[in-house]
Parts: sequence; structure tokens; C-alpha cells
Amino acid sequence: MPDLVFDNISIVYSRRSRTGTTPVKAVSNVSLTLPAGGTLGIAGESGSGKSTLAMSVLRLLPKSATITGRILYGDQDIQDLSFGQLRTVRWAEAAVVFQGAMHALNPVRTVGWQILEALELHVKERWATREARVARMKDLLAMVDLPTDKSEAYPHELSGGQKQRVMVAMALACEPDVIIADEPTTALDVIVQEQVLNVLHSLVTERGISLLMISHDLSALATICDRIAVMKDGVVREVGDAVSICTAATDPYTRKLAQAFPVIGDPASRLKPQSKPIWEVAADGGTDGLEQTNSDPHEVVLEARGVSVNFRSHGRTVHAVRSVDLTCHRAEITALVGQSGSGKTTLARTILGLQEPNAGGQVLFRGEPLKLTKRGLREYRRNVQLVFQDQFAALNPKVSVYESISEGLRIRKYDGDEYAKVCESLEACEMSPASEYLDVLPQELSGGQRQRVVIAGALAIEPSALIADEPVASLDASVRGELLGLFLALKRRMGMTALVITHDLGLAWNIADTVAVMYNGEIVERGTVEKVLLDPQHEYTKKLLHATPKIPTLA
Amino acid sequence: MSTDVIPPGKAAIAEQQDEGRESHRQSFLGYLLAKIGGAAISLVMVVILGFFAFRILPGDPVRKIAQSRPMTAEQIAQLRHQYGLDQPMLAQFWNYLTNIATGNFGESYVYGKPVSELIAQYFWPTIALTGTSAILAITLGLWMGQLAAWRSNSPYDQVATGTSLVLWSVPTFWLALLLLMIFGGTLHWFPTGGMVSTGIPTGTPEYFLNVLWHLVLPVITMVAVVYAQYLLVMRASLLEEMSADYLTTARAKGLTEDLVRRRHAVPNALLPTVTLVFMHIGGLIGGAVTVETVFSWPGLGKLTYEAISGPDTPLLQGTFVVFSAIIIVMNLFADLLYRQLDPRVRRA
Amino acid sequence: MSETQTRPANTREYRNGKSRRVNVARQRKLQRLKEVAKEFAEHRAAMVALVFLLVISLIAVFAPLIAPESMLNVTKLLDVPHFAPPSWEHPFGTDHQGREIWVRMVWGARTSLVVGLAATAMSMIIGTVVGLAAGHFTGLAGGIIMRVVDFFLVLPSLILAIVLSSVLSRGVLTIVIAIGVTSWAGTARVVRSQTLSVASRTYVERAEVLGGGHWHIISKHLLPAVMPLVLANTTLTVGSAIIAESTLAFLGLGDTTQQSWGTVLKNAMDVSAATSGYWWYIMIPGIAIVMVVLACTLVGRAFESITNPMLRRN
Repeated sequence: MPDLVFDNISIVYSRRSRTGTTPVKAVSNVSLTLPAGGTLGIAGESGSGKSTLAMSVLRLLPKSATITGRILYGDQDIQDLSFGQLRTVRWAEAAVVFQGAMHALNPVRTVGWQILEALELHVKERWATREARVARMKDLLAMVDLPTDKSEAYPHELSGGQKQRVMVAMALACEPDVIIADEPTTALDVIVQEQVLNVLHSLVTERGISLLMISHDLSALATICDRIAVMKDGVVREVGDAVSICTAATDPYTRKLAQAFPVIGDPASRLKPQSKPIWEVAADGGTDGLEQTNSDPHEVVLEARGVSVNFRSHGRTVHAVRSVDLTCHRAEITALVGQSGSGKTTLARTILGLQEPNAGGQVLFRGEPLKLTKRGLREYRRNVQLVFQDQFAALNPKVSVYESISEGLRIRKYDGDEYAKVCESLEACEMSPASEYLDVLPQELSGGQRQRVVIAGALAIEPSALIADEPVASLDASVRGELLGLFLALKRRMGMTALVITHDLGLAWNIADTVAVMYNGEIVERGTVEKVLLDPQHEYTKKLLHATPKIPTLA
Repeated sequence: MSTDVIPPGKAAIAEQQDEGRESHRQSFLGYLLAKIGGAAISLVMVVILGFFAFRILPGDPVRKIAQSRPMTAEQIAQLRHQYGLDQPMLAQFWNYLTNIATGNFGESYVYGKPVSELIAQYFWPTIALTGTSAILAITLGLWMGQLAAWRSNSPYDQVATGTSLVLWSVPTFWLALLLLMIFGGTLHWFPTGGMVSTGIPTGTPEYFLNVLWHLVLPVITMVAVVYAQYLLVMRASLLEEMSADYLTTARAKGLTEDLVRRRHAVPNALLPTVTLVFMHIGGLIGGAVTVETVFSWPGLGKLTYEAISGPDTPLLQGTFVVFSAIIIVMNLFADLLYRQLDPRVRRA
Repeated sequence: MSETQTRPANTREYRNGKSRRVNVARQRKLQRLKEVAKEFAEHRAAMVALVFLLVISLIAVFAPLIAPESMLNVTKLLDVPHFAPPSWEHPFGTDHQGREIWVRMVWGARTSLVVGLAATAMSMIIGTVVGLAAGHFTGLAGGIIMRVVDFFLVLPSLILAIVLSSVLSRGVLTIVIAIGVTSWAGTARVVRSQTLSVASRTYVERAEVLGGGHWHIISKHLLPAVMPLVLANTTLTVGSAIIAESTLAFLGLGDTTQQSWGTVLKNAMDVSAATSGYWWYIMIPGIAIVMVVLACTLVGRAFESITNPMLRRN
């Protein structure tokens, strides 16, 4: 079984524009080795060139990409292969696990058909007949813990985790020597992620297959890979064994990446997301937010009382939320934690008045029941605002930052100094000097900055509570901490109440005061962060904590 | 690195679907009934439109007749009575509905025969003409379109797309006149009109061949204009599909480019195409009116032309309803076909 | 840039800031317009087509100067040969009444362009309004609107136009209405799908959460997002409207008092020009229609290919 060697690889895309073609360098001078039977992880954020590098192995890059350097498989340079030779290498010797939860499976073919197709293309003695191939296809599904009758299913009938497992089964089909896994668990829940990673890990080690795994998540890589390379802007910043990369990195960027995800239980990261010095500024502000109003600091701002939500879906009733009670106190951050399908998003939408609860349930704001009339909602949303998960889509791309922030003010016919208010909100979100951002279009901002603009737009109409739906889930790890720091600062400076919906227990550990764990539409456990996360009582909370990937520690 | 980003609204739905997967495969019967119901509503809307367009809008049908021949006031009044135009609107509507339900479209002013009889007589030639044209145009258009997309910007693509754009810009009736002039009037390769030469006994093979011979020019005209649209549609939807992730998966598996196209890209690109192709059936039928007029093909299109020249309101009303009904039935067909092609609809 | 280092409390600075921003917004629009023009110039065929359309428009506008109306008066053309083939004397030949084909073409351009533009405007307005409504409103109202759009989408628009123009009194306005009322469904469909894709973006939900009503969301977010698409579609629709006009005229439903390219072809068919060898009578108006429609198509497609990546980028 041969090694896979990247020897001084550079990859350049030629981007065509009006002024001719401009070369864009995606990967520069990368040299890496994946020894036979070994596991190598490549970590990096978006735009680091890690996927481009992985796709170059099977020459799957678009025509506009030019590769220089050698990609050696054994002593054969992949680039010297004829197309016919390359096709026999593809899948039979090196297979790919794509980000299958997205669109890597053909939507109009059954998954069994798609696995059989690979077997038919690379017929070996063991599956020379049609019956043998069908039998092998079923074996493969069983291998990844899928019932064999799923072979008749179309991709849209499977959940994200199941699709990902189909991808793993398909990759193993022709007994390859190398598996390239490109973000195999992105967009999956922690528990599903753990399952997929376990399946991948055990199958690879049992069969002695070499694994090249690409991920933005250092902790996921660390659970599987012996060695990890960290890439940024097309360059390998650091290579080393997994533990030393995570704990004793020499490169500052690697360190930043490693520290982005907190260790639950580590006091160093409690109420202290890794952040810029802003944090200290905010800490100075102390409690003046609370002093501004002379109300009771333990006032209940938001409350859900016996809220249930049913959906009618294809003539069947789905209980998305089952009689949930939830309270958010003034100047407290509450984290609502759960997997997708747990009903947490539905609950958040109900609290925001975007979804009507079943009869008997109530949402209260400062003790007043929420009226779902047009006027009632309008009034309510002056006080309760939403921060969105997808900050790329949350701003109209044609509208400048100033217009985006003043939108709420104009809708509400704000009669004060609009310009001053906009600047004030921007600066409250640590975008200063504000004037430099006013005329900027969203596309010119980074992901973190866009999320700040969204928050500033909400703050401009002076709400007393924010509901944030996965506010950092689509941000790069290195920005995550800064944005979480902002939430803490808003709480301290302005006395902001916040309900943060997340799948990420680490986030709760970083910023929340209280946490509620949601499972199957019910809140199964709730309490202060320390109590719930350090001494979990419910089985599900324990499972969730266990599944959260951990950065290995030296201790 | 792309992260699965679902806006809250969709996420809520996705959550539900996660739980509800597999258990709700809509039965074929339920789907069929829903689609037939929709088609029936459309049909009723056509019938109602057919009534109101001719009665409510300004332009009294009897006055139109009176324009074309001299009549006395009594004659007009008698005519109004004969066609039931002196009754209240609601009664007229009711009569109209009951008549249509029994297949009675009234009597043609020009032919002096029941409209339903005329339509029955002219129906099949139209079906033969449009049916042949549709099958040829769809086959040709889809085949050439997928090749053009797969080799986009190649000389083949440029020629195919360029030709299509020109043909797309040609009025059907003018192309008909042009072909008639060149191949009928000047070269005498094909007949200049009609469906069959006189004096050939019906039912013989000779008769069949003679009809085919008459069919050539009208079919070429309709195919030329319509296949161009289908080519452009297929090309666009395949181009859209070309960057899909599952094609990379197929390539990584070691498929040849040819198989990647045939097994993976085309079946997916067909989905939006089918919808649009059937939507354009209306255009094909519209083309039949002018093509049949130019080639004197004895079909519903020619009947429509004669109804306009009359003007013959009951006849026009009849052809309008029948043409619309044909199209509604074709679209019902498209829905059923689509269900066969897309598992997401089949097992939603 | 430093003016807001300290917060501008007084109104003068506030106004300064505001007017400066208005300028920036205007500059940005101008910049975008320039980019579009530059990209458009890249499409050589479309540029030629655009120039051609401008020339035809000028001919249509100045028709009375180019060919005085008296040249169409049959009573003054008694000594002109009928069906004269093209020659130096009669560049495009003459028709069955001895009128110069080229004069009829010049006057016909007016009707064809006016009807094409007016019917397109009508169809675009109806299509955009209905498409926006169908995409934005959910529930029963949206469902009913969709049903109506679907209905008009499958209806044979030419046949419906025939019905309308034979029922209404003859005239240019009737033709415009007949085409406009029957051709909007395609636009509505495109606008609706674009609206749906924009409406599912988070920034629309954000506007709703900020308290914006239907009008705010439609006018501030949805309409600006579908406008580029509508504009690209407009040129394409002008082409098909011109074809529709000539078809109706050919079927004898046009305004018989006005010259139109379709009317010329109708006259040609009525005198059996195709089988009698009067080729110029058929070729010249036909080629004119094809060239104008093709030009519209090329221009429209160029705009579409420029705006489409923009829509995607957004």
C-alpha cells in the first residue's frame, strides 16, 4: 500500500474577468505526507485552500486550476496519468467522502443504485456478478449501521447523518487504499457527528486505510487523526502530531484556532470567551446598565408558560414543542441548547411571535401576555429583537450599513437624531469609528462584522431583550470568541437580556448564566451553567456532553 | 468550507420533515385526484372565460353579423331571439353551461352546422399535425440542447444556439409562407395546401402516404420554430446543473464524462425542462392556427381563422374552449410525467 | 472621515453626513450603471443589435419625412405597375395596388414598434405586480393568485388574443390590450420565483422582525431585487410582442387603416404571393420582422447574462 505525498504543491486558479485572466493562488508550496495506513488531518478556515488541496489528489479541480509540483501516489505522479488510468485510480484506490449532508448524492437515484454504480465501474473478483454486488451493497450499508432496506431510499428521504453514512459506505465500496474525507461532519449535530466519526475511525483503522481528513473543526480532527496540518491562506502554518498541535502550538494562528473552542469545566474560559481587549473595556462598564433603570434586577423579562406547538404535516400532527416553561431574567444570558429537531428553533420563533402556540400556552413579556395581533406584535418587537444565524443573508446586499441600521428606526418613525443613533448603535457593537462603516456594502464586510451590523440594527430600536439563533454557528472559529465577547459586554453595559439558541455546549459555558437543555420538544434539564454542565442529571445532557469533541489536553 | 445555513423559518420546517420522513408517501391516487381536480378547475375557468369574453365585453355578436350583411331591425331582433341574446344574462349563462355540458356549442353562423359537429370533423387533422410536430420538436430540441450545454461555447454550441435564436425570432406564419413559396410554389416538391389530393380512396396505403406528403411542410414549419425554444430551455437547465456537487461525486467514482452526463446530469436537468416544455405546448397550438391557415390544412386552426373572418362567434367560442381543453389535458399529462421523473414529488 | 469621531450632535453636521451619504449612494448607482454598460459593450452582437434597433426607431419616428403619406394613397398610384419586382426604380418592389413596399415598411415600423412597446409595458406591469403578490403573500390569497397565474400560463395566449381582438372594436389599442393581457403570465412566473428566493432570505425576515409591514418589505426589498430581471425580460418580451402583433394582423385582426408589417404579409397571402412568384412581397416584411425580433432577443439575452450573475452574487 503506497504513501500519498504532496511535493511542493501550488495551485493557481485563473479567474476570468473583463480585464483578462488574473491568477488567484489557492495553495502555495505545500509539502505533506500521508503514510500508508496513517491518518492526516488538515485544519483551516474558509479560503485556506484545504479543500482545493484535497480535491487535487483525484484531479477533481475545475479546468481553471493549474497545479505545479508533484502529487505522488507511491512513485507514480497522479498528474502523469492518462484519463483512462486516472479513472481506474478514482474510487478503486482512492475514494472521497464528500460533504454528503449537502448535495453530494444524486437526488433522482436511490442510494443503493449509487453504491452499485461504483461497484459496477470497478468490478473485482469478489463482486463479479450482479447478485454479489447487491449483496456487497447491503453489507456496506450494514457496516455503517444503516438498515439494508434504506438502499431503496432516495437521498431526500434520509436525514443528514444517514446521508453522510451512505457517503462513507460508498467510499468503502471498492476497498480503496486511501480515503479523503472533506468536511465529513459539517452541519451535523454533535451526537450524529460523534457517530459518523466513530464509524469512519473504526472502519479506517480496521482495514488499515489511509485517511486524509479536511475540517474547520480542530477538535473533530483531533479525535481521529494522528497528525494535523494547519493551513491558512494556502500555506501550511504548522504540522505536527495531534496533541501537540492542540496544546503546544508554536504558531500564533494555530494557538488561536485551538483556543476557540472552550473546554467545558475549565474556569479559564468560563464567562470569558477568548477575545480581544474589548473584553476588558466591557468589564469596566461593570453594572452601569443595571443602574440606569431602577427596576428589580431579577425581574422576569421573557417567559414561556406551558407552551406547546403542533404542526400539521402531511395529515399527521407533529409535536414540535411540548408544554415548555422558560424564564429569562433581566441582564442574564440564557442558553437554550439542543440538537436539530429538538424544537428549539420552533420555541424561539414562538417566543418571538412568529409562530402561534397551542391554546393554553402563553408567552409573556414583563408579565404581560403577548398579543398576536399586528399591533401587539409591532409593540412587542420594539422590545424583543432577533439576531440571525446566517449573517450573510441577514443584510440586504444592495443596501449600505447606514441604511440597514436605520431601517428599524424609519419603520418606527424615530423622531430623534437618526444619524447619531446609528453611530451610537454601531459603536456599541465595537465598530468604531462608526463613520468609516456607514457607506459600506455588506459584501465588503467580514462575517463577524456583518453579524455586528445585524446586532447594531436590533440595538438601534432599543430593545430590552435579544433572541439570538445560533449567532456564531456560521462564523470562523477565530472570530467566534470576539462576537461572544460582545454579547457579554452588552449584558454588562446595557443590562441586555438575551436568549441564545445553540447546539454548542461550549458557547453556553463561554457566556451564559443559565442553560436549558431541550430534547424532543421538552426541556429536560435547566439551571445555572455550572450546575447543569458540571453535574448533569439527565441522560440526554450527559450524552450531549460526552459527544462534544474535546481538544486533547496534556493532563 | 460551506456551513449548513438554514434560516429559522426553514429550519422549523426541516425539523418537522426530519421526524416525518418516509411515513408519508403520497399515494398515486391522491396525487392523481389532486391534479385532476386542478385541471377541472382550469377547465371550468376556461368555460366561464369563454362565456364572458363573448357576452360581457363590448361588441354585440349580432351587431357584428349585421355589419357584414344588410339587415332590417326585425331580422336583427329575430336573430337575437334565435341565439337567446334577448334573455337575461344569468339565464344565458345557465343555458350556455348546460349546453356545453351536453357538448352543444351552438350553431355556426357561417357553416350553418352545429359547432360540435364541425369540431369533431376538424379535430383529428389538428392532432395529427401538432402531435407529430410536438414529438419531433421535443426529441430534437432536448437532444441538441443537452449536447449544446455539455459542450458549451464549442463551435457546435455556437451554431446550435445561434440557429435557435434566429428561429425563435421568426414568426411561424412567415416561415410557413416562405417554405410554401420555395418548396411548393417554386420547386413543386410538395403540395401547396390541403390534407390529401383529390381522388384518392380513403383507407388505402396510398392515402396514408399522400397525407404524409401533405404533412411535410406544415410539420417542418412548426418543428423549426418550436424545437428552438426547447433547445434553449434544455441548454439552460443543464448548464444550471453542471456545477452540482453530485457530478463531482460521479466523476470521483471514475465515470467517463459521457456517463456523468447521461446518468446524472441529464435526468436532473430534465425536471425543470419538462415543466417548461409542456408550458410551451400553448405556443405550439397557437402556431397551428397560422400554419393551418397558410397550408389550408383542414384542422381546428383553419376553422378558427374562418371563424375570425366570419365573424362566427359560436364557432370561435367552440374552438377556444377545445384548444384550451387540449392544453389543460396535456399539462395534466406533464404533471403525471413529472411525478415519474422526480422521486421528491413521488414520495413527498 | 474624521467628522464623526465625536458624535455629531447638532443638525448641521447631521445634514452634512446625510447629504454626503446620498452622494455616495448616487455615485454607487452611477458606477454600477457604468459597469453594466461596459459589460454590455463586451457583447459585440448585442451592441450591433442595439444600434440596429436605434436606427429602426429613428426611421419609425421620422416616417412622414422619409416617405410622405401621399405615397400610400392608392388613388394617386394609377400609373405605377402592380407587382413590380425590385429594381432601381422600385428598390423593394411594389404591391398589388402599386404601392412601394419600402414605403409600407417605413410606415409599418411605427405600428410594429408602438404596439410592441406598449403591449410589453402593459404585460410587464401586470406580470410584476401579480408575480410579487404571488411570491410575497402566503396562504389562501397567495394560493388563489398562483392558481390564476398557472391558468394564464397554460392558456394558449395567441388564441385568447384572437378572441379578445375579434370581440373588441378594431384598433391599435385593442391589439395592445389583447397582447398585453395575454402575455404577462410568463413574467409573473419569473418574478414570482425570484420573489420567493428573495423572500426566503433572512434580511426579509429581519425587516419583518424590525416591524416592517407588507408595503415596506415589497417596496424596499422585493421590488429592487426583481427589477434587473424584469428589465432584462422586457427586451425579450418586446420581440415576442412584435411577433404577436404581426400574427394578429396577418389573421386580419389588425387595424386596417394603419400600415403594419403583418398587414403587408396578410395582403401578400390574400393575393397568393407565395405560389405566384411575388417573392419580394413575402421576403421583405418577413426579414424585417425577423431582424427586429432577433435584435431584441440579442439585447435581452445580453442584459440577462449581465444581471444574472449579479442576482446570484446577491
